[in-house]
Amino acid sequence: MSRRPPRGEYIETDTGNKVARKATLVGTQNIMLGGKTVIQPDVMIRGDLARTIPPAQSAGSSGPANNTAVAIGRYCFLSKGCVLRPPGRMYKGVFTFMPLRLGDHVFVGPGTVVQAAQIGNHVHIGGKVVIGEFAIIKDYVKVLDGSVVPPNMVIPSFSIVAGQPARIIGEIPEGGIEAFELRDLYKTVGNNVQPTAS
Amino acid sequence: MFGNNRLPAFHPGLTQSRIRDTTTGNRLWFPGVRSPPSESSPSDSDPPNDQLPLPITPEDLYDTPMAPFNPYTYIRCPCSELNPYAKRTPDVTAQGLSRAAQDDDDHTFDPRAARSNYSLYPLEYLSFCEDCHQIRCPRCVAEEIVCYYCPNCLFEVPSSNIRSEGNRCTRSCFQCPICIGPLAVNHVETPPDPNQLLSPDHAASSHSGSYLLSCSYCNWSSTEIGIKFDKPNSIHMQLAKLRNGGETRLTAKERKERRKEQGGGGGGSNNGQGEEDLDTLLDMETQFANLKSFYQNQLSDANGTGKAGGDASAALGNLGFDAPASLSRIMSLYTGSSSLHDKKSKSRPGTMREALAPSEGLQLASLDETSAITALQDFESTTGLDAYSSTASTTQLQSQTPYLGASPLHGLTRFTSSLRPIPYLLRTKRSKRCPQCRHIISKPESKVTTTRFRIRLIAGNYIPTITIKQLIIPGLTPPPMPNLPPDTIAPLQPAQFVLTFKNPIFESVRVTLATPATTPGRFPSKVTILCPQFEIDSNTDVWEEALKDNNTSSASTSTSQQNLSSSTGPEGGPGRKRAGTLRPGTAGGASLAGEELGPEVGKVWEKGRNWTSIVIEVIPASLVQTAKRDGKGPIKEDEDVLEIPMFVRIEWEAEAPEDEIMPGLSGAKGGNKDGGKEKRELAYWCVLGLGGLRGRCKRGFVCGRS
Ligand SMILES: [Zn+2]
Ligand SMILES: [Zn+2]
Ligand SMILES: [Zn+2]
Ligand SMILES: [Zn+2]
Repeated sequence: MSRRPPRGEYIETDTGNKVARKATLVGTQNIMLGGKTVIQPDVMIRGDLARTIPPAQSAGSSGPANNTAVAIGRYCFLSKGCVLRPPGRMYKGVFTFMPLRLGDHVFVGPGTVVQAAQIGNHVHIGGKVVIGEFAIIKDYVKVLDGSVVPPNMVIPSFSIVAGQPARIIGEIPEGGIEAFELRDLYKTVGNNVQPTAS
Repeated sequence: MFGNNRLPAFHPGLTQSRIRDTTTGNRLWFPGVRSPPSESSPSDSDPPNDQLPLPITPEDLYDTPMAPFNPYTYIRCPCSELNPYAKRTPDVTAQGLSRAAQDDDDHTFDPRAARSNYSLYPLEYLSFCEDCHQIRCPRCVAEEIVCYYCPNCLFEVPSSNIRSEGNRCTRSCFQCPICIGPLAVNHVETPPDPNQLLSPDHAASSHSGSYLLSCSYCNWSSTEIGIKFDKPNSIHMQLAKLRNGGETRLTAKERKERRKEQGGGGGGSNNGQGEEDLDTLLDMETQFANLKSFYQNQLSDANGTGKAGGDASAALGNLGFDAPASLSRIMSLYTGSSSLHDKKSKSRPGTMREALAPSEGLQLASLDETSAITALQDFESTTGLDAYSSTASTTQLQSQTPYLGASPLHGLTRFTSSLRPIPYLLRTKRSKRCPQCRHIISKPESKVTTTRFRIRLIAGNYIPTITIKQLIIPGLTPPPMPNLPPDTIAPLQPAQFVLTFKNPIFESVRVTLATPATTPGRFPSKVTILCPQFEIDSNTDVWEEALKDNNTSSASTSTSQQNLSSSTGPEGGPGRKRAGTLRPGTAGGASLAGEELGPEVGKVWEKGRNWTSIVIEVIPASLVQTAKRDGKGPIKEDEDVLEIPMFVRIEWEAEAPEDEIMPGLSGAKGGNKDGGKEKRELAYWCVLGLGGLRGRCKRGFVCGRS
């Protein structure tokens, strides 16, 4: 981010989201943003891929009366060119998409494709990563650049993951969890950001 | 945010080696991988069974082919000292320290020494013992397992199960034997009858089940080894009963029952042939069971008819494998139960015969490899591929778990076509104890799914972080040499770096730095710290900052930017001072009037709320010239990175503990109290990685290595 973006590159919402004008958000009515999330140019979010089968008729579904396809928490950072795409599968003989949920402080690197079912809080996904369909990533996980996380993989908390297919190659040390905080990164992006030495 | 999101993991539990990123030449922390990652792009058609180095930094991932060198600071844990827990004299003056560091080579820490790899850690890997007032590292802390869990289903496994079932998930969690990806339980493509699917316990009789394990990464499926399952749960148990091909295997219990039916209790067949014949292929479990019962019978026979042997040969025989005493000892080792014959047999020397038949556990090795050779030839003729690709790689074989239904030794599989699914290895949550005072310095919540810690004493909350940035002042800094590869520091030319120290504690600290005048090793670079003594203000208004941050959630963007400047510290903002003069918040290196003043000796470069930056000047050695002139031979690993050992001493005044003088305090703490305040001090070595030296090992450059 050495180049300063031209003025007005981002739309800043009331809840503090900064959405690049050049980002492609399809089916915005199915995309939930928690606030203070940065969506960089060339990001694509496929809100149009909402589930075609209503959620299981278990009574008292407390969640937002939803057809949410993509739910994003607070302080997420979606880098240039990444794609968020809800996963889909056959369910009782019919194909349907299922929601893709991101927690808070999730960093998604440039050029990465995310088709997970769930990504927890404080997750760092590097650049050019593929997160396969229905993968579940828990909190405080770091996915290194170029990894291919296979479909259905579950990644437990405090894992460092890499490879093709991805596997756990290490653990986040106790002192490493502060680095997942994305508040400061949020402040470096937007229309009126003071230039900082980089 | 991560400074470098490409920094591969450092894993203290594995072989530590600081390898290089081949695209940048940077030294990296990486677990156990010694061979450099291949430079080819990951999309190159790697065969799926090739599990060679992880694609850390394929060049095609980055816009620039040469990613910048990321300066780093590694801190040395005191446990690598010869006498780590001995008391040290705390009152070494700064001059004394620097003199010691400069004059006495024995005391200068050499970051390239072979041992240093095991004592240098990035700050986030270090803990801090509050009782000892000392840094602790993953190598010296004592770990205790808090709980075991499966990384796939995230169920906790009680430790009693670990003892009985082993350290793998016994539910339905499996990894692909070919590519290590997760396996999912799926219906067989052509589901037989929907009515049957609804009743999972329908088909216990037939072996043609309705479920399979399949890998969605490489498309492997358990049908390739002829295995299907009757129900979608407890796959582990079902798989244990199935041989490759789908044939069921008797469980130990069933075998016992069958043996009972055959008569003779545990082993009535100790006299040669049973109904099994010498050619019978025993699987490992059967062989073990047969051997065990055979030897148990032998032992009881030996006890019954024990020869009265007082001679020397009998005494010697007592030590051999065929002696009852050793045998019962070995058996108790492998069967886990103390044999009931133990006490008696001690006093009864004698020898016993060995197993003679499969029923006694004798398994003749089959040295006939024709079937393997035929399989290889068939593979080549049918697929047209190299037969080598049909054999399992070492990694694949290593990740296989021992299968009791496999035939031993020569029957072990060497083909990918017979690899079995790998049950997930359990992982653990662990707490850490200080090696010296045994206090707990890290303890996670025991629940698998929570990420909270009960105790978490990390070094980053006690000692300053050091960040490094090269100082480039337009007009003062000489322009980079034209033919110099990027990220290298020009040799024999002064280069300046800004070191920023950020104070995490609530007291202001006094920092004293010392480096050797020249870096240790064959290619000495000259080092000067322009301001070796300075203060960092306290980290007091963190609460204020946090409150401000919350308040701005609904405020306009301009106020949030104000916060940014104060919270991002060194990166800019109001209140930052350089050399005593106030400057407006501009980026370092921007051309303001008076900016052309270079750093001054003895003066702090910049100062902020809880941070201070100073300048260090180096005159890098030239690898090329020195190597030529002195004939020093090829450049060794890491010699082409400019690493500077630096001794850091921090002093501060802390509230004295009310009740007691700290037990087990090491030399890191002074004792003189002063009106409720107490002088504290902490001193440690660290290493600053500043950049590559010219001649570093890279394509087209002077390189000593092949
Ligand atoms: Zn240590
Ligand atoms: Zn499991
Ligand atoms: Zn696979
Ligand atoms: Zn201690």
